[in-house]
Formats: sequence, C-alpha cells, structure tokens
Amino acid sequence: MPGELLSDRADRIAYAFVDNGKAYSTVVGLFAEGKLVPLEGPYEPLPEDYIVGIVAEVKFSGYSVDMNTAYSAFLSSREIRERYSMGDAIFAKVSMVDEVRSVEVNDAKKLPEGRLVKVSSVKIPRIIGKKNSMVDTIKSATGCDIFAGRNGYVWIAGKGNANLAEQAVRMIEVQAHTTGLTDRVAAFLKSESGKQQ
Amino acid sequence: MDELRPVKIVARVLNDADGSAYIEWGKNKILAGVYGPSECVPRHEQSLYRAVVRCRYNMAPFSGMEEHGRSGPSRRSKELSKVIKESFENVIISENFPKTQIEIFVEVLQSDGGTRCAAVTAAAVALADAGIPMKDMISAVAVCKIDGKMAVDPGKEEDNFGESDMPIAFSPRTGELLLYQMDGLLTRDELAEGLKLARDASEKIRKLQVDAIKKVYEEPKEERFLIVK
Repeated sequence: MPGELLSDRADRIAYAFVDNGKAYSTVVGLFAEGKLVPLEGPYEPLPEDYIVGIVAEVKFSGYSVDMNTAYSAFLSSREIRERYSMGDAIFAKVSMVDEVRSVEVNDAKKLPEGRLVKVSSVKIPRIIGKKNSMVDTIKSATGCDIFAGRNGYVWIAGKGNANLAEQAVRMIEVQAHTTGLTDRVAAFLKSESGKQQ
Repeated sequence: MDELRPVKIVARVLNDADGSAYIEWGKNKILAGVYGPSECVPRHEQSLYRAVVRCRYNMAPFSGMEEHGRSGPSRRSKELSKVIKESFENVIISENFPKTQIEIFVEVLQSDGGTRCAAVTAAAVALADAGIPMKDMISAVAVCKIDGKMAVDPGKEEDNFGESDMPIAFSPRTGELLLYQMDGLLTRDELAEGLKLARDASEKIRKLQVDAIKKVYEEPKEERFLIVK
C-alpha cells in the first residue's frame, strides 16, 4: 500500500521512496525478499524494452508510434528498411529515453495481421512467464503467434484460435498476482480447446 | 461523539478508467475515477518537470437537498475541486511523469454532508488502484461542534445546525494535514480535541481503504461491476 513501511533502513527499492532513513512503498504491490512488485501502474519506458506499438503518424523523417503511454515513441526511417502506414502494428526495441521522456525506438519489424489486446504493463512478465513458459503454453495450445510488448500491448497473430489466446491473456491479466498460474492456464486451454473441437 | 456513519468502499468499479472507487459514507454516494498519466492538453499547461494533477468535483443534479444539489460549475464545486487537487499534489510523486496530466474525477451521486471528505477518501483509493505512485494514501474526515460539544463526522443536519464544522485530510504516515478548512468558530482547546477525534477516525477510514484495495486482488474479476448490496 502507498505509504506502508517496507524497511527500517534507507534501502533503495524500486517503487519505494526513502524518508527519514526508512523506505516506504509508493504503490499497491507485493513485497518479498527486498523486492516490491507493483500490481498496477503505468508503463515507464526503459531502454532495451521490447514494445508493441501502433504507427500513429507518418512524418518526413520517420514515424510516431503509439505505445500505450502518455509519451509516443519516434522511429527514424534511417534505421529501417520497411515502410509503414498509419495503423500498422510494429514490434520494436526502445533505444533511448531522455529526461523529458522523449522515446526513440529501433529494430522495428512489421507484425503480421492479427489483433491487439491491451493489458496492464506490470502484468506482461506474467504473460511471458519464466523463460517464455507461459507464452509457449498459449502458442502451442492455440497455434497463434504472440508478441507481448513490455508496454502492455499484446499482439495475437497467425491462423490459430485467436479467441482462445485472447481469453487466456485476459485470464492471466486478472489473476497475475496468484501462484500456480501456468498450470491453471494450461488446464484452461486444454479444457476449452477440447470443447471447441 | 466519536461515532462514524457506516462507510463502505469498493475499488475498481469502472472498466475504462485507469483507477476507480465507489464510496458510501452514510447517505453520501460518490464515484471517483482516475485517468492518467496521459499527454497533457492544453500543451501550454504541461510541465517539463512533473505531471499536472487535475481534479473535477461535480454534483449530480439529483444528488442532494436544497442548495447542495446543483450540478455544473459553481463556486462550491470549483472550491472543492481545488482543495482536493491540492491535497493530492502533496502525495503524488509527479516528478516521475513529466509532460503528463493525471486527472481525478469525482461525481457525487447523492449527498448528505461531508462530501469533500468522502470524495478525498474515494479518490485516494482510485489513485492507488490506478497504480499511480504516491507517498501516502490520504484519508479524510470532518469534525464539528454541536451544542458546545465536539463530534466527528457531521451529517448535513448536524453541519447546518451545529456551531462549527472542520473537514480535515490526513497523511496517515506522517500525520500531516493536507486539507484543513473550518466554518464557524472554535476555541483552541476545542480545536485540539477535534483534531484528535479526526485523527482517530481517519485511522478507521484508512483501514477500510486498504481493505477495499485488497479485495480487488482477493476476488479478481474480469468485468468490473458496481454492485451495491
């Protein structure tokens, strides 16, 4: 909870602040082993993050990309060989973020036709899972390609059962703070795909 | 005299808001929604150093009795928007989000005295639900003087026919006062007594706020509904 005491020492913890030599939480989160994991929150872009974005504007020297934040990213056309038009979905890497949150991305790749699922960005690690375990589970069960951007956009593409994949993503979003989720998602996918055949 | 009206808080009730909360405080019914951080428009109001916090307090046309129940911009709603905004500017860590705005919307559906305290309490839950970093979760409560005695949490009649009324918002972590207004007159002793009453009451309110947020995660739901039992 915001304002809750986390540590009696001035530890530097992400999503916490230090006042009077003590560390306090700033968000609703789970605290264990000196780490605070927020349960909700806006996406703060960081270099090296992989994001899914939507081309919002075509400019003279590049593209402006919407990525589910207050800040839109800039993609220079010098960095890429493809051409995009408005509304295209791309997968890209954040290359630079400055102190006024101007964001630049590169290594862009156009995504195949598919659908966009918006989730909270703090839940993306759960959707990807440990060593991609969760994404692999959904991919193999539904036959879809899944691109999870760190910004909270999940792109579901391919000829598989996209409805089921979307349901699974939504299920993970709602239950992201619980344990044993991969098994439950696997069971859910199994029972659902059994029904539909 | 230290009795609160029954308070019920539900967090995460709106699908499209980033954070939301609904509070029933006695006969008050208030809905709070938080949007942001999003790009700050108009642009000339944005800051390169911090997020701009905005608040709109509004009463529904059907919300209340007599002069209270007026919707639309009025002196009163402007004042309340301002005091609520200023309370939250103290706790929101706005430096994390330059060039953005954080909007707090408070809609009073039914009013019965003490709406500003209930509004602050609900908005604090909505902000926490939105995951906006804050130094503390504010809770607020009013105290009043009726028949020469100090009492906590006045309703509309107690407020109108009492001698004095004093809404206070606390930062429970530090004990700082973030909103502090007074109608009528109080002596120094009465003021000290009132502050103590309010502090004790705000502890109870804080517990309810924390419970409301915990409940969101204990009973996760895919669709957000507002069901009042």
